[in-house]
Amino acid sequence: MHAAETALDAHWGGGTAPFGASWQKTMMWIFIVTDALLFSALLTGYGFLRHASAVPWPDRTEVFSISFIALMTFILITSSVFMAIAVTAANRGDMKLALRNVVLTIIGGAAFLACQAYEWSHIIHHGGRLYGALPGSELAAMGVPPIFTQAFFVLTGFHGSHVLSGLTILTITAIRTAMGKTPPQGIEMAGLYWHFVDLVWVFIFTLFYLL
Amino acid sequence: MSDNAAHPYRIYWITWIVLLVITVGMLAAEEFHMPKWFLLFFLLTFMAVKAVIIAGNFMHLRFERRNLAVMVGAGIVVTSLILYTYVSQETARIMQLTPR
Repeated sequence: MHAAETALDAHWGGGTAPFGASWQKTMMWIFIVTDALLFSALLTGYGFLRHASAVPWPDRTEVFSISFIALMTFILITSSVFMAIAVTAANRGDMKLALRNVVLTIIGGAAFLACQAYEWSHIIHHGGRLYGALPGSELAAMGVPPIFTQAFFVLTGFHGSHVLSGLTILTITAIRTAMGKTPPQGIEMAGLYWHFVDLVWVFIFTLFYLL
Repeated sequence: MSDNAAHPYRIYWITWIVLLVITVGMLAAEEFHMPKWFLLFFLLTFMAVKAVIIAGNFMHLRFERRNLAVMVGAGIVVTSLILYTYVSQETARIMQLTPR
């Protein structure tokens, strides 16, 4: 071996897995980082436009039921616990427990999505549209600026689409696990995605609903 | 046998309780009529704490090699800061220059 290669090896030390993880897990993390940047850009845009808005920001408690949003948060956090248990159970070889918890995660995710559909229908019913509040509607009477409804539909819509994708992935994972076709790593990858969806909600919940 | 091996799932339920307590605290914060800047600081701090807890315990990032955690954390934080401090300011400048 040449001296230069030996020196490189001494500095590198990562072998074939520089992150100490399989290529599947490394790629999943890279995907999560890029997806996080999408939400980062959306939230930054929202924050900037809200800051620059000439119209006062509406009182969120008048527009939303915060206790209902808290319930949605509770559901999502609980589903994440089931997912984490499923991943650990799969890694320990207990695929039965893993499958049971993947199914519980799916139920939690479906409940969250149902809550979000209800909330969307509530806002639309009160005049919320993607371009702003419908003239003459309840939200228009409250002086809700267009950026408020735009941010609401875009942020929660993007997040909701991720929940839907997560549910699709989990359903496929559950079916394949029941058939004995999913390795533990498959459940781990689905779990990483599901926790990411939960993580994004933490930011949306704080920055949009609480601030 | 270590405690973790005997109760492998307990950490997740403890994390669940901690996350719920923080969430309730964040919801109740407004009732204490704190100064606006402090409320902002409080909510943003605990938002970050929740994110770190989820990434560390649920996504097992604290059990991964440190370079993976640094890649994930630094990648997201640095890009977000650039977006907010540079791109958004530049957008404001362009918006002011553009006739409406």
